[in-house]
Amino acid sequence: MIRLVRELYQYRGLLLSLVQRELKARYRGSFLGFLWTFLNPTLNMLVYSLLFTVMMRANTPHYSYFMFVGLLPWIWFSTSLGAGASAISERRDLMTKVRFPAQVLPTTVVLTNLSNYLLSLPLMLGLGLFHGQYPTWHVIAFPVVVIIQLTFTLAMTYILAAINVTFRDLQHIVGNLLTMWFFITPVLYQASTILDERVRSVVLVANPMSSLMLSYQAIFYEHRFPDPWPLAALAAFSLALLWGASILFESRREEFAESI
Amino acid sequence: MQEPLDAIVMRDVVKSFRKRTIRGEYTTFKSELLRWLRGKRQPREGGLITALRGITLNIPRGKTVAIIGRNGSGKSTLLKLITGIYAPTSGHMEINGRISALLDLGAGFHPDFSGRENILINGIILGMSRAEVRERMDDIIAFSELGEFIDEPVRTYSSGMYMRLAFAVATHVDPDILIVDEILAVGDEHFSKKSMAKMTEFKKRGKTIVLVTHDLSTVERWCDEAAWIDGGYIRRVGRPSEVVAEYKQAIALAEAQSVVFTPPALTEDGGALPQVNVPGADAPVRLSGLKLVGPSGEVVPNLTPEASVEACVDFSAKGLCEDLVFEVSLQTLEGRALYETSTRVESVPLPRELPASGRVRFVLERLGLLAGTYVCEVTARTKGGISRETCTFVVSSSVAERGVFRPVHHWVVEPVPVAVAPVLAGVGHP
Repeated sequence: MIRLVRELYQYRGLLLSLVQRELKARYRGSFLGFLWTFLNPTLNMLVYSLLFTVMMRANTPHYSYFMFVGLLPWIWFSTSLGAGASAISERRDLMTKVRFPAQVLPTTVVLTNLSNYLLSLPLMLGLGLFHGQYPTWHVIAFPVVVIIQLTFTLAMTYILAAINVTFRDLQHIVGNLLTMWFFITPVLYQASTILDERVRSVVLVANPMSSLMLSYQAIFYEHRFPDPWPLAALAAFSLALLWGASILFESRREEFAESI
Repeated sequence: MQEPLDAIVMRDVVKSFRKRTIRGEYTTFKSELLRWLRGKRQPREGGLITALRGITLNIPRGKTVAIIGRNGSGKSTLLKLITGIYAPTSGHMEINGRISALLDLGAGFHPDFSGRENILINGIILGMSRAEVRERMDDIIAFSELGEFIDEPVRTYSSGMYMRLAFAVATHVDPDILIVDEILAVGDEHFSKKSMAKMTEFKKRGKTIVLVTHDLSTVERWCDEAAWIDGGYIRRVGRPSEVVAEYKQAIALAEAQSVVFTPPALTEDGGALPQVNVPGADAPVRLSGLKLVGPSGEVVPNLTPEASVEACVDFSAKGLCEDLVFEVSLQTLEGRALYETSTRVESVPLPRELPASGRVRFVLERLGLLAGTYVCEVTARTKGGISRETCTFVVSSSVAERGVFRPVHHWVVEPVPVAVAPVLAGVGHP
């Protein structure tokens, strides 16, 4: 794992340039290009707000803001995994022609999506102001949560990218799994609304994304510090996962160039 | 610290690929599931394809080494091993120095980005730091000769412009060891000359260059050493002219024996070409090191039709060679003879007893050939065997004449001194 991180640091110039390029590619040319970052979550938000406030009458005050707080980091997570799965297998041109550490490619995807997330935060805060929700000093915990999610997302993306080199249909399955994962994660609903005690504990304990979502909601929606213990457990779990991912990467790295 | 002598050392390097990854489809969860449902528990027998069977090769520091061989003989695999993209299956490899590989031009180019932005990314991918790329940006742009186009998206470029940009970036990387895969000939006459000049500059600065190419005349003209890879082994390493000659003969022999040219790696024995008897290996007079030099003895980079040159070749002789004849032939690249002569037809007296080693100089006061690429071939013929040396040379000219040679001439335009009519009337009346 140390080698994995050290190489990333060595190639930080490349990483930075690739991320910059991905971002520029998205925002290039048209004003609408930049809007897409906002438009996608906004449209999502409208659909879900309609569904939950008008059709199903959820009793969450400021529902659209509440949902946005969880939806944005979820989009960061899910697009990273979705695009990261094919990050190595689709860059045949680079992998077979130039020598550089393969982890740069999935890392680029995760960092690009992180930047998009951070860029869309003003939209979320604006929506909060509209609902009368002003950010409090509890936001100092926000960077910690982001770093934990970054570690977890990186580990997951590395694993998917490495497996997808051998099993090419993984990238298609990932999309479906992410949709399922989305609904067992308290993004659209508050965890407290799950009535069945056992289901709730499964959602909260077995799902690493839950504690992240609850933390974001705690900071921005409930204006309090997130519960430290689930976060600490997740941080430890993420590091262990990253360690496993780096072992997987080390053992497969020779094969990457040859089998894609 | 003692500097290692060799830039690259390879000992018994073997590289095999699993067959599955070469032909056949990618493994998917679906295919694995189907296989499991059909009850075939064993994974498909992959088998191995051995591309390199045991490469032992030293590439000395500061030398330009060409790797030649048939298509599919493992040249590119070898380069990828040196670069570190592939890892050897077994064997020992040692690389001393910073490597830059030009295996593909324009790695990571993004069509929607301007030339300038792509230079940055491509340069970093090729191993430069951001600061280095920024520093060399102007040089790269100047070298690419794209002018205003540098700020246009790369997708609007013609393929020639694209290649020029890519090549410009690639040659501005400053490595100790440069790995080049068949990309020297880019662009028009002017640009490819510039590219060659850039590569020559690399050479002069004492960089090690490993070059894979099928352009054998480049190999002969430009490389210090050639390695012929055949059947997964290094078949011969040595002076380019000798290696190229043997390689050409082996190909000719294979064609004459109508050997089926199969992909070498898929063949049992590695698809080696037939053995040839190297002519001159036991000849009493052996030639070596043919080169064209100017009057001062220096290798002339740019020959012109008016240049005076000498074809210089060293020989070593064993004992008496009374029947020795030296022959010189100037040919086109395709092998058509333009001029041939020998010491016999010109009755040039040769000493009865040759010195053990000496030099033959064929002095041309005026070359007389027009622009083009030609081959000079010198042969030492005795009853005991022949020894032959060839070298390729390029003549360039600023005059757009056509044909092959330029006779000594001048033009005269003047008023006719006598009336035309009587001359015409006289035609046909001897």
